[in-house]
Amino acid sequence: MRDLPVDEAVTLADLSRDPYPIYKRMRAETPVVRMAQTKRILVTKADLTKWIKENPEIFSSDDPTTPMKPAFQAHTLMRKDGDEHRAERMAMQPAFSPKVIRTDWGDLYRKIAEDYVGRLPRGETVDLFTDLCGPVAARILAHMLGLEEATDAQMQDWSQRLIDGAGNFGYDPALFEASDAANAQMNALFDRLIPRHQSEPNNSAFSVMLNAKNPIPLSQMYANIKIAIGGGINEPRDALATIVYGLLTNPHQFEEVKRRDLWMDAFEEGVRWVAPIQVSGRRTTQEVQIGDYLIGPEERVMTIQASANRDEAIFGDDGEEYNVFRDKHPHQSFGSGPHHCAGAHVARRTLGEIMLPLLFDRFPNMTLERPQDVAWSGFGFRGPLNLPVTLN
Amino acid sequence: MTSITFVQPDGSSKTVNAADGDNIMQTAVANNITGILGECGGAMMCATCHCYIEDARTGNASDGEEVMLECAEDEIRPTSRLSCQIKVTSELDGLVVHLPQPID
Repeated sequence: MRDLPVDEAVTLADLSRDPYPIYKRMRAETPVVRMAQTKRILVTKADLTKWIKENPEIFSSDDPTTPMKPAFQAHTLMRKDGDEHRAERMAMQPAFSPKVIRTDWGDLYRKIAEDYVGRLPRGETVDLFTDLCGPVAARILAHMLGLEEATDAQMQDWSQRLIDGAGNFGYDPALFEASDAANAQMNALFDRLIPRHQSEPNNSAFSVMLNAKNPIPLSQMYANIKIAIGGGINEPRDALATIVYGLLTNPHQFEEVKRRDLWMDAFEEGVRWVAPIQVSGRRTTQEVQIGDYLIGPEERVMTIQASANRDEAIFGDDGEEYNVFRDKHPHQSFGSGPHHCAGAHVARRTLGEIMLPLLFDRFPNMTLERPQDVAWSGFGFRGPLNLPVTLN
Repeated sequence: MTSITFVQPDGSSKTVNAADGDNIMQTAVANNITGILGECGGAMMCATCHCYIEDARTGNASDGEEVMLECAEDEIRPTSRLSCQIKVTSELDGLVVHLPQPID
């Protein structure tokens, strides 16, 4: 068994700026490596990241030191394993089931999407990221969770504060103060909404949890909704912006996708290409061999699905490119194992089936004149920060 | 090796050899059977390996499996199962697995 290599050079700032050349080098030279700056072990090959997530007894999601705890004021289901995790997840899952998506959310999302796309000014250049991707993701999520009373701006603000707190590995008190303020606002709204959801049961996540035969504790319902707010806005937002960027910077693919209505393929390729959630952390519960290395217990392992999605072993030599027409292989953007993304169905339906065809039916000749002006950022979560498109 | 036959809604079928110890979902994915995705890797969390099996040898769905089946995309029947929850053994030789009709 060899000694685990240590990468002294790479920093979180490097990985936030442009992670992909670094991951490409890691896959080739050091697919399992300790990152000196964070002490964590980065795993970048697809077979290993998938195996880690599918073996939760060895690789636990429970991390007692996670900043998620102070950020969410709770130990959430994201950081639980086994039956405890399953019970909390299944309490909410019916609201996101394909059946309810078809009966409740599909038509509603179509109406919301028509409304938000309809407001965009034809012939003008707008920032699609702030004018569409964020607000439309916030609105549908507010409905799915049963928080219709919250504004788009509130939903997005809470989401960002929770994310910033959850990623606050430096334990900066200012970030936890910001997430505490968001928690107070959310708790007050949830308290107010309970009577309505109890007297008028519906298919929203909050109502489903409140009216369950064996309800989970109220504190965990609140934590579940906050997890959905923290995770349910930026991912569809970033996925939509990424897919639009991919299509507009590859005009031949864009034409073919429009001609053949291949929106679902455009969606899958977009989330493969730049995974909205790039990294997932696990904690080793025992000594275990990862690749060629023996890793001890209580190590923090970062599985990099962003890298797995471009692994040459699966995607060949052009994994770095956006290519709707590549051979189909499963990507890992929705994860694998017990924590497989609860919103995967919702994302496919709302973005792939509804939003993309609707957006490009209204603006079939949309252009991105200066792709070099689009700023990308993020290590844990990644996507464009702006998307200046001309609407035609 | 255990022989398992996958039948599509249009009646076409494919018979494959399954490795003992794998589950039916893994067998289907390894053989590119249309209709079985197994996205969560067999953690009973996604219901994308839903199938119909009418064969007492596979036993009954557990409570957790029943709950997850409620979330499946396609029509649920009394014979509905999550194929990730059925382990391949030589006793299942000749098993027939029907795939659901995709809903548009």
